[in-house]
Amino acid sequence: MLMSPGISDERLLDLYRVMVRIRSFENGVKQLMKEGRCGRVSLSAGGEAVAAGVSAHLTSDDQIGSTHRPLGHLVAKGADLKRMMAEITAKSTGTNRGKGGPYHIFDKSVGALGANGVVGGSVPMCAGYALADQLRGDGSVAVSYYGEGASNQGGVQETLNLAACWGLPVVFVCENSSPEVQRMLGHEIDYPQLSIDDVGSRGAAYGMPGSTHVGWDVETVYTAAGEAVKRAREGGGPSLLEFKIYRLDGDMDSGYCPIRLLRERLTGGGVLTEELDAEIWDAEAARVREAIDYAVGSPEPELIDAYTGVYAEET
Amino acid sequence: MTRMITYAEAVNEALRAEMRRDHRVILFGENVSSGWRPATKGLKEMFGRERVRDAPITETAFIGAGVGAAIAGLRPVVELMLVDFGLVAMDQILNQMAKTTYMTGAAVNVPMVLRCVYGAAGGAAATHSETLTALYAHMPGVKVAAPSNPYDAKGLLVTAIRDPNPVAYFEHTLLYPTEAEVPEEQYTVPFGVANLVREGVDATVVATGRTVGMAAEAADRLRGDVSVEVLDPRTLVPLDEEAILRSVAKTGRLVVVDEDYERCGFTAEVAAIAAEKGFHSLEAPVARVANPNVPIPFNRRLERHVLPDKEKIARAIKAVMKS
Repeated sequence: MLMSPGISDERLLDLYRVMVRIRSFENGVKQLMKEGRCGRVSLSAGGEAVAAGVSAHLTSDDQIGSTHRPLGHLVAKGADLKRMMAEITAKSTGTNRGKGGPYHIFDKSVGALGANGVVGGSVPMCAGYALADQLRGDGSVAVSYYGEGASNQGGVQETLNLAACWGLPVVFVCENSSPEVQRMLGHEIDYPQLSIDDVGSRGAAYGMPGSTHVGWDVETVYTAAGEAVKRAREGGGPSLLEFKIYRLDGDMDSGYCPIRLLRERLTGGGVLTEELDAEIWDAEAARVREAIDYAVGSPEPELIDAYTGVYAEET
Repeated sequence: MTRMITYAEAVNEALRAEMRRDHRVILFGENVSSGWRPATKGLKEMFGRERVRDAPITETAFIGAGVGAAIAGLRPVVELMLVDFGLVAMDQILNQMAKTTYMTGAAVNVPMVLRCVYGAAGGAAATHSETLTALYAHMPGVKVAAPSNPYDAKGLLVTAIRDPNPVAYFEHTLLYPTEAEVPEEQYTVPFGVANLVREGVDATVVATGRTVGMAAEAADRLRGDVSVEVLDPRTLVPLDEEAILRSVAKTGRLVVVDEDYERCGFTAEVAAIAAEKGFHSLEAPVARVANPNVPIPFNRRLERHVLPDKEKIARAIKAVMKS
């Protein structure tokens, strides 16, 4: 039976797998943090539906730019789990050879270009990815992820304007993780971060469609992102999507947990049996274990590596 | 075949030929389609508004777009109408443009040219007159070229566009109308190779950008009294240290000149190199001629007072000859 109009059961199961992969990967990272095998990493639990629902519309020819909470976006885009884990643990086999860390992971082979340690820092670069897409004319698009805090950055506002002026094939995805208090997570100060309720409303200020959605419901995300990506691919220009999410601890207790929500639906609809569910979690756990083993067994960079790669070699 | 063209035309020629040669080369920035701007005049008509596009006045967005476009495989040339305006976009320039290659373990690179129009051009005051080469040279990951004449302007820009790294390319406003013999065909001037502008044996002057011409004039004026060697490094990063040290070993005396601020500036860097690696060759303290650490004043008399000129350079040469 079809669970959802417009989304096949198979697609929903795929989305579920990706979300479980993200959660499992981050729980693996959490464990490494607890054991002191890596430094502090900002995790994205609660945002899995956004990463999975958006990336389901992308291929490796499309690009994403992400944030300092990037692991979900990167996993969903297909970045290499082993080399990501190695980067998180600062190993020479990491995506960035241990010189960028979790907040700067790039995996060019799948268009994951990349995490960024500066709030809003990747957003202008995404306009550049989209510009390259536009000039190539092959229908590729860029997705620029950022948070509600970054949405206030001058560079983000400038980029919305530039993308609209140039008609760039880019989708701006704002994950608003403080949907009620309008205060950026970890910055619970006396004044709000946002003077508006919905970041999506800022699209209108730049002449592009802007909309606000529930971000813990992957079907909603999938549908909204599908429209925006299609528009960009067809030369219709940029859009702004805001998804409200709640940052979670990585457990499944919350009513805002996108994985729990989808699991209940899939189970209720008979698409997901307990056996299949266990199979999915086991398979993803095995991949994460493999990634951790790879990272733990990998060597640190050599001291000489501190001096390499400041400049690219002539090719 | 060579013929006389201006510095601005040399920039224009380099852009035109590289855009013709490589479809990945694109140009954007504020007013780059304008017929009033000699360095980019005619390019939009030739290559179309897709490849030559005006950007809104938002340096962070369009410089960042240059970084992204470069990572995504294009060869963007981004124009910064005045180098001072880059100060609103420092994250994209000094974090993203400069460091992405290193931070990704060289998994990606940023083949981008940031054309920085710079220099005090007479009464434009402190936010429209700066040089700021040191700011760019300070940050690992950026190459810095500062052509002093039309020949180098063309050859260095071609090299910059073909370089796999971000290059800040500094064009002095007042050099735009200066003329010199420039070959019609495309050629490159390599980075990191200083140009020996005047040969001499008594004192070395290392000067960059517009001050190279002033240093040559000072050297010519002192001819007969002092034999002055004038070196133009052409690129601040990479820097031809060897040529500087070789010259200092010969002359024993060093004057360093540029239009940027003196403190922690390029002149300080060259003086430090001489002290560290050429100390035993030095027969006199190093002298510097640079902006004496004040914002460029609006009043032209004051502006002239704080900028280098050939008289100041000649005085500095005489001073190092006395000690």
